Amino acid sequence: METSNGLPKFAVLQLSGCSGCEVSLLNSEEWISNFQLVYMPLVVTANKIPDDVEVLLVTGGVRTDEDIHNLCKGRSRARKLIAVGTCALSGGVVQFDENHIARETFQKASHRLRLPDMLPHAYPIDHFVDVDLYLPGCPPTPQLFMTALKEPDGAQIASIVCQECGRQKLNDMRPTAITGSRSGVVLPDICLINQGYVCVGTSTRGGCGALCTRPGHACVGCRGPANPYLNKDPKFVLDNLRRVFSRMTDIPAEEIDAALESPWLSLFLGQFTDYTQETDGPRRTKEKML
Amino acid sequence: MTTITYPLSRIEGHARVVIDVYDNEVFRADFQAMEMRGFSYYVKGIPAEQITVIVPRICGVCSTAHQVASVKALEDVFGITPPPLANDIREVLLLGQLIQNQATSLFIFTMPDRTNSNSLFELSRNEAERAKEFSLAQMALRIRKIGTDLISLAGGQFIHPIKTVIGGVTSGIPREKADQMIDTINDLLPVACEMVDIYWELSMEMGDRIGSWGDDEPTHYLASTEANDYHLNSKRLRVMRPDGTEAQSFDPHEFESYLQIAVNEYSYAGVSSYMGQILRANSLARINLATTLGTPRADAYLRRFVQTFGKPAHAIMFFDICRGIELVFALEKAKQMLERDLEHGETEIGYTPKDGAGFGLVEAPRGPLIHHYEVENGLIKSADFVIPTVHNMLAIRRALTVVAKRYVSAEGINAELERAVGRVVRAFDPCIACATK
Repeated sequence: METSNGLPKFAVLQLSGCSGCEVSLLNSEEWISNFQLVYMPLVVTANKIPDDVEVLLVTGGVRTDEDIHNLCKGRSRARKLIAVGTCALSGGVVQFDENHIARETFQKASHRLRLPDMLPHAYPIDHFVDVDLYLPGCPPTPQLFMTALKEPDGAQIASIVCQECGRQKLNDMRPTAITGSRSGVVLPDICLINQGYVCVGTSTRGGCGALCTRPGHACVGCRGPANPYLNKDPKFVLDNLRRVFSRMTDIPAEEIDAALESPWLSLFLGQFTDYTQETDGPRRTKEKML
Repeated sequence: MTTITYPLSRIEGHARVVIDVYDNEVFRADFQAMEMRGFSYYVKGIPAEQITVIVPRICGVCSTAHQVASVKALEDVFGITPPPLANDIREVLLLGQLIQNQATSLFIFTMPDRTNSNSLFELSRNEAERAKEFSLAQMALRIRKIGTDLISLAGGQFIHPIKTVIGGVTSGIPREKADQMIDTINDLLPVACEMVDIYWELSMEMGDRIGSWGDDEPTHYLASTEANDYHLNSKRLRVMRPDGTEAQSFDPHEFESYLQIAVNEYSYAGVSSYMGQILRANSLARINLATTLGTPRADAYLRRFVQTFGKPAHAIMFFDICRGIELVFALEKAKQMLERDLEHGETEIGYTPKDGAGFGLVEAPRGPLIHHYEVENGLIKSADFVIPTVHNMLAIRRALTVVAKRYVSAEGINAELERAVGRVVRAFDPCIACATK
């Protein structure tokens, strides 16, 4: 498991994604002195994953038949496999809903000569292989990467985004309508829900440092469901969000429901179903989530 | 017929080179993108104002450029102009991306070609060598991190940034934070110049060793930076003829009159041309189109480049050298921008959403990027992403044909071809995630 210089080997397998997770990993230089990077096509020329990798990080979702092959091969060569980023956990933002208006035209366009065909769906990697640790986020921060590589056991992760956001929830500021995805000026220090934004940070796993909500952008749920909603029907998350909005706002319930189903929010909220579709017992236990 | 396939590494995304050899002659050389992102399909029907947060996910490497182009396209639809301070902060954001990108391409992607290694992070067994390599890798990542930190400072998040919004930016840059950044740039600018000098020297040695700087046939060039003003938050596109004279200057909304973009049956990436002619974008195009960069160290490098290689310069390995010049430029320029007051003043104006068409242009590290949206009933009716890498597709194919002919002969296929195709493709620094159509 060790290279000539005594450092444990680690590898990064990129399936279909945007490379954002890789860029985030490169933003931490700490790993250079702790690990030997043996495979990561973005930055290393190596034709295969070596047989004795200590940790394999997998980014991207499964969108082509080549992705399935590479994923299964990678799994067999690594002692520990970490699923990294929203795409690996649930296909990601390129997930086409069954009823999406452009799904058919995309399918027609995605067959070319001598090239792998695109699968009809973007699959999470645990559809095909066992995963030892899940690191959600779009992308996960460099700090989370280092925690995943160095000391995932016993890591203290904020339960929900609100915990790290620092914006104050007010009782006497009750919006009556949704403000829109972004218009006007966001007031500092006050909860975005009080300002009429559809923020789902109350149900979303923390650990991101509330990077979006602190400067005034509503949380879209890229880190997936918080621990209480793991392995539960996604309707529990939606019910919780509905409760939050009825407690904190006077926005009509239908408007909130429509907003939660809007394409943008469903990008990430849609993935919450991947945390429940299990016939052979729970895969994504809270012990396995970072 | 023999078909040779070369998988590619040290580039953004999944791509390969396929060369068909028939009767000892190169029959065709292709550059293939292996997967399709499909965002132009995916965003149909979403609320227009949400698109600015979705499209950065086209690509994690270029997310900043996509976000700013997207916001500018919607500002065009809504008919609003952001305040000058917002434009300055967007410029800082785009400079951050240029630093991050050029440092990645120079040190992580292409330096190993010059030192005959497989990776910047590959360490030798020899103790002394290892210490040297380790410090080189650390320096490279530190320079690159200035770019990342600038994106965080001006964009709120280093990947998929969020501070640029329709009408401006959400906040200014506090003096204290700007000063910290200036200190870091002051510390690392001499180191960056030293690394660029080493890179330049190694490139000259590589050129001598190989006996070629690659495809050097005069070509058209496309950029949206000005000759005397290297602005990345750009307004107009320019095309230079192979002889160095200006062929055309046009607004982003006129792009279809000059740039023909088509689907490629052999690749998931699109392919474009300038009125049927091969086109090149990215660092070499900008440098060929520039008279001055407006910062002292970068201008000294520019003069040295023109004196050594001429103007316009055409060999493809010059793309790599030009990235070095741009890295120095972007560090100096970011410092100049941060010395201004970016803290006080109006950062954002209000707007009323409207239907219509809009175009957003920025000069991304790989060339001019245009987002073109049609909004109907507040929803995206169509979205077209005009991607810099796509403008280089014909040029990449031609350069691959040139290199394939060099290494395929009656005696056989020279094993050097594998390394050569890697060098050719990396010179263009293509981004596959963005380029799929």
